[in-house]
Formats: sequence, structure tokens, C-alpha cells
Amino acid sequence: MSEQYPALLVVVPLLSALVVSIAGWINKRLCFPIAVAALGVAAWSAVGLLLRVLDEGVIVYKLGGWSPPMGIAYYIDYLNGLVLPVVSIVALLNLIANKKGIEQQFPDKIGPFYTLYLLMVTGLLGIVVTGDAFNLYVLLEIAALTGYGLLAMGEERAPLATLNYLYMGTIGACFYLLGVGYLYIVTGSLNMVDIARLLPPLYQSKAVMAAFIICMVGVWLKMAFFPLHAWLPNAYTYANSAASSLIAPLVTKVMIYVMIRLMLTVFTPEFAFTTLAVSNAIVWLAVIAIVMGAVLALAERNLKKMLTYIVVAEVGYMVGGAWLGNRDGMTGAILHIVNDALMTLCVFMVVGNIVYKVKGYAFEDLQGLFRKMPFTMGALVIGAMSIIGVPPTCGFFSKWYLIVGAISAGHYGFMAALIFSSLVSVVLFFRVFEICFYEPFADHHGHDNHPGGMDEAPVSMVVPLLIVAVILIVVGLYTGDIVNHVIQFAIPETMV
Amino acid sequence: MKIIGLIITVVTGALLFYAAGDFPAWSDPASPASTYLSPHFIEKTMEETSVPNIVTAVLADYRSFDTMFETAVIFSAGVVCFFLLRISRREDEEPETRYYRHVLTGVTIQLKEGHKMPPSADFERIDSMWTPPDLIIKTGCRLLIPFVQLFGLYVIAHGHHSPGGGFQGGVILGASVILLAISHDLRTAVRRMSEKLIGILCAAGVLIYACTGALCLLLKLNFLDYSALAGILHVDPITARSHGILMVEIGVGIAVLATMIWIYNNISSAGRYRQGL
Repeated sequence: MSEQYPALLVVVPLLSALVVSIAGWINKRLCFPIAVAALGVAAWSAVGLLLRVLDEGVIVYKLGGWSPPMGIAYYIDYLNGLVLPVVSIVALLNLIANKKGIEQQFPDKIGPFYTLYLLMVTGLLGIVVTGDAFNLYVLLEIAALTGYGLLAMGEERAPLATLNYLYMGTIGACFYLLGVGYLYIVTGSLNMVDIARLLPPLYQSKAVMAAFIICMVGVWLKMAFFPLHAWLPNAYTYANSAASSLIAPLVTKVMIYVMIRLMLTVFTPEFAFTTLAVSNAIVWLAVIAIVMGAVLALAERNLKKMLTYIVVAEVGYMVGGAWLGNRDGMTGAILHIVNDALMTLCVFMVVGNIVYKVKGYAFEDLQGLFRKMPFTMGALVIGAMSIIGVPPTCGFFSKWYLIVGAISAGHYGFMAALIFSSLVSVVLFFRVFEICFYEPFADHHGHDNHPGGMDEAPVSMVVPLLIVAVILIVVGLYTGDIVNHVIQFAIPETMV
Repeated sequence: MKIIGLIITVVTGALLFYAAGDFPAWSDPASPASTYLSPHFIEKTMEETSVPNIVTAVLADYRSFDTMFETAVIFSAGVVCFFLLRISRREDEEPETRYYRHVLTGVTIQLKEGHKMPPSADFERIDSMWTPPDLIIKTGCRLLIPFVQLFGLYVIAHGHHSPGGGFQGGVILGASVILLAISHDLRTAVRRMSEKLIGILCAAGVLIYACTGALCLLLKLNFLDYSALAGILHVDPITARSHGILMVEIGVGIAVLATMIWIYNNISSAGRYRQGL
């Protein structure tokens, strides 16, 4: 059974999406259990794969029994072995937490919602697990298309914001495809490992350089890297909470994974960092991304939009870390994929709970929430600590690696940006805490202005949220193991 | 802003042209794309899959996994259209006024406050913006549709030997039903293929594809390795590949057929499933 994990990981969510779609027409109550079971199997397979990779190293799975480069193959190594469990577990926890919200928002369209949700997860898992550059594009298409559908369902402005995302996302995907096409023209292969084998003699070719640049720009568009980030805040803010808390943690992080995969596996780190000699400029772009993200977040008077700008800043962390060109920076970037997925999930799930209860997420709606929703707010505190980078939450450790990487690369601008953004995060979150804790201010005119007692979100929403909050701390405590047993082997030895 | 956009477009275009300078010459037989994998496909396809059409073999066997997800892309497009556009009756606030037309005499009846008329052959339901369908178009399309559908089935079944296959055949089949909706009205088409049927078919098509793959998995070979089906089909593993391709092509055909109609229904009626265009 365990040798079929790579197929099960992607095929079970796909099959269940189809079954859920049919079940939606027959009996809506079947949809949720099927979806949870499928994502449970996917998470199980992902964890099983990681354990197998730790045991035996790289796993190759030939789809259709055709060996690469004739057919398509899945490669699971330390890099995607680490990302797969994160994607599947984030998707599973978010699905469980949002059951009530989904039923509240789309009573008539439960079937299609779960179908799109599962297809989206299929797409993301497929992007991460695949070893074929074109197969990656096909799954990118699935993840994008279903993502547009999920995000467009929300507030009144959601369709327009998503249309904007659709234009940008489609251009990004086209760029990636164009880059893969260029690589195919010069190498004749689509398999990543095979391309990597054929490329070195061609590194001076203009076509290969153009292919790399086009792929990178496409991926940056998809991950909302500054200055290509403009679509993200509105698209994520106005969407329904189940969709935004799935897509905000995962899509940008999976695209960072794709970028790192291209840099490390398809191309060599030497090509990315020395032949092209653009890495310094990209790190400076990342610096601007971080600073702009932090400043724009500061200007927001609304919790969800503030968080979306933090997502933009976090993308800057990871792109900058990856392009520092040394081992510590890359370790920080890979570790931050895991940590940022979890902490973004945590804070967006908090927003989901608040929206479910208060029906709003503007700062004025947050007054008195510590009294009203203590557990949700407790999770927000942990998530915020992690985003700020307070030990022992996981956010501290990846930031630590990024800063060490910045120092050993001699890139003090990036270091300063990291520290600046941490300080801004302190301001951002303590402003929110202040509103939630102290406001509404006591009224001295004797009116009875005390809000009622506790009014927490349902247990099914709070428990997954608290699990995520605990995971944030646990991952932080086990950072050493993750780095020493997994990430260390994910980075080629040639990179120092 | 427009000028910046223009500059970016020109620079990107120039970069692409500059890079194209290092491409192998146009239709160069010695280019990597034609010397690396293509010879294998050209020489071995018949031997390995017993399918004469190389394109079909690459699409539905060597790279079958991609094609499965392309079908899933089409399926998700259908679901997204439904999810975003369909307006359920509950969201339409007031109980609607219905109009019925007596087919023989053309007399129109108005029923207010959500009253309904039992289905009968004498009356057809119409909208306030009703226009009579043209007799020539109606009759012409009715004559045409069976042949269009027959051709669609031929294209699906003959994908192994000639250009064609599930995608093309499915589109032709879907177009035949859309032709019915255009020449008559959407209600006529929905009466033939209900929304529920389309929704289920759409998923069932992809399900046939994915289940064929999963069946290979249950028979102890890798996902979509059709040679595993040899035992069930009582043929040798090479012929089993050819049959496996036919199975998935049928799945693709059904999925594409249903999705075409689903998307047309939702867009043309803005999600209300009334008369349509």
C-alpha cells in the first residue's frame, strides 16, 4: 500500500471531489464526511511519504507505468516531502473548522463548494508532488481556476476583485507555460530531473536565460511578490472566510515552493545565483516588498485586509531568503514555507470565527472580543506572536535563519527590513489587541454599557483553531529536528 | 499608466524575440524536440500500445495523467460557472408570475403568486420576453441534430485511428444539445437533459477516467497503467492499453459534453434557467 502513497495523495482528493459533486445532487449531508475522509487519507499519505523519504531517500513514482522522460513521474524528496504534509493538514483543519460557516453562507451550494475545495487541494498537492514541468502547469490551472471560483463567492466586491486576480493569475500561468515551452524547445524534455541533466551545456544560451526569467516572473505574479502584488489584498479580503483561509496560507506558499524547486532542481543554484547575477536586485525587491507590505498593513483599519498585506510582506521574506544565495537563507525560506502556512492559517481562521459571530472584521467590530471570544482571541495572540517572531512560536526560528542568512550574505538591507517588519507587526497586532481588550471604553455617564458574557464560536470551529495554535508552538520547539533531518538534505550540497 | 504598460509590453516582447535567436531553426529535424523523445514515440507507439494514432497514444497513455487533469479543469470550469452564476429560487424574493402559452391557439395565460400549471402537452411555459421560434430554423435543427450527434460518437470512437477523441467528440455532442437550446429555447433543452442529470454526468465523466486509473491501482499496478486491465478484459497487456484509452476517451467525451451544456445553460440564462438567449 505504502508504495502507492504518491498516487493516493492526489487521486483520492480528486475522486472524492467528483463523488462529492454527485452527492451534492442526491444528499447534501454526505458531502462533508466524504471531503473530510478524503483529506484525511491525503494527509495520512503525505505524512507516510515524509516518513518514507526520511527512511529511504528520494521516491520516484511512475504514472501509467511509463518511465520518465516518456511518461510523467512523481518525485518526492526532502523538499516536497516537507511541504506535502503541511498543505494537506492545513486543508483538512480548515475544512473541519469551516463546516458551519459554509452551511451558513451557501445553503444551496454546499456540493459545488466542497467540490471546488477538494479540487483546489488536489491541484496544490499535485503541484508540490510532481516531477514534471508540464504536469505542474496543468495542476496550477486546476488550483487557479477553482481558486477564482472560491474567492469570487463572498462580499459584493468579491467578483470584481477576483476578476482582477484572474487576469493577473492567468498571465502568471501563461508566463510559466511559455518558460516551460522554451525549455522544451531547447532540451526536448519536460521531466524536471531530465531537464536539469540536459541543461548545463546550454547555460550560455539566451533561450535558457529567458526561460528562467519568464518562469520566475510568472511564479512571482502567482505569489504576489512586490510589485506584482496588487491583486492579492482585495481578492483575499472580500472572499468568504472558508476560501480565504484555505487560499491565503497555501497558494502563495506553494508558489514559493515552485520557485525554490525551479531554482534548486530544474536549474542549478550556481546558474540562478552566479550566471544570472540578478540575485542582489531580487533581494532588494524583497526588501521593498517587506517594507511596503508592513507600511500598507499599518494603513488599514480592517483586520482581514491588514492580514492580507502581512501575507504580501511574508512573501518578501521567503523570496528574499531564497535569493540570498546561501544555505542559511534557503533554510529560512523553506522553513518559513511551513511556518507561514501554519500561522497564516491561524490568523485567517480567527478572522473566520469573528466573521461567523460578529459578521464583520473592521476594527470597530472587534471591540470587547477578548471577553466575548476568549479562545479565538487566545489563538490570535499565539498567531500574532508567531508572525512577530517571539520564541518559542515557530515564526521566530525561520526569521532567525533568514537574519543569519542575511548577515552571512552581507545583505544588511534585508536584515533591516526583517527587523523593521517585525517591529511593525508588534504595532499592528497590539493595536488590534488593544481594541479587542479595552474597547468599548467605559462610559462615565452611568449608562449600562457592559456587553454581555461569553459568546464564543461553535466548538467545531474553535477546536481546530486551537490545534493550529498548538502546532505553531510545537513546530517551533521541533525546529531543530526539522532543519537537521529534513531541510538540510533538501538543499543541494553545492550551496554553502 | 498606459505608457508604462506599453513600455513593459515592448520590452517583454523584445526579450522573447532576443531569446528566440538561440532556438533551433524552424522545423529543423535535428532540433532537440524532434530528436530526443519523438523518435521513441514514432517508432514504438504501435508496439507498446497498439494504437495507430500517435497523438492519441501520447495524450491518453504516455501522458494520460495530464489529460485526466485537463478533463478535471473542464469539470471545474463547469462547477465554477454553476457555483457563481446559478440563482436558486429561494434567492428570487417574490413568488414569480408564470406565463403559459396554449401551443395550438397561441393564447397566453398568466398565473400570479407562484401558482403552477400541471405539465401537459397543450401548454408550454414561456417568459414575458417570449419570441416565437422560427419554424424553418426549428425544423432544420431538428433534422440536423441526430446527424451531429452520430458524428460526435464517431469522433469519440475513432480517436484511435484518425484525428479525434473524447474532447472533440464531446464538444460536438454538447454543441448538438446547445443547438437545440438555441433553435427552440432553454426550457426545451433542459426538459431533455435536466440540470441534475448534467451535473451528475459532468462528474461521472471524469469519474470514469479517474476510476479507470484507480482500477489499475487496485490490480496492483501503478495508477493509469492500463496493462493491468488485461486480466479483466481477457486480452494481452498491449491490447489492454488500447482498450484502456477507449475507456478514458469515453469518460472525457461525457465530461466535455455535459460541461459544455452546463456552462451554456448557466451563462445564457444568467443562472435563472428561463428561456435563455
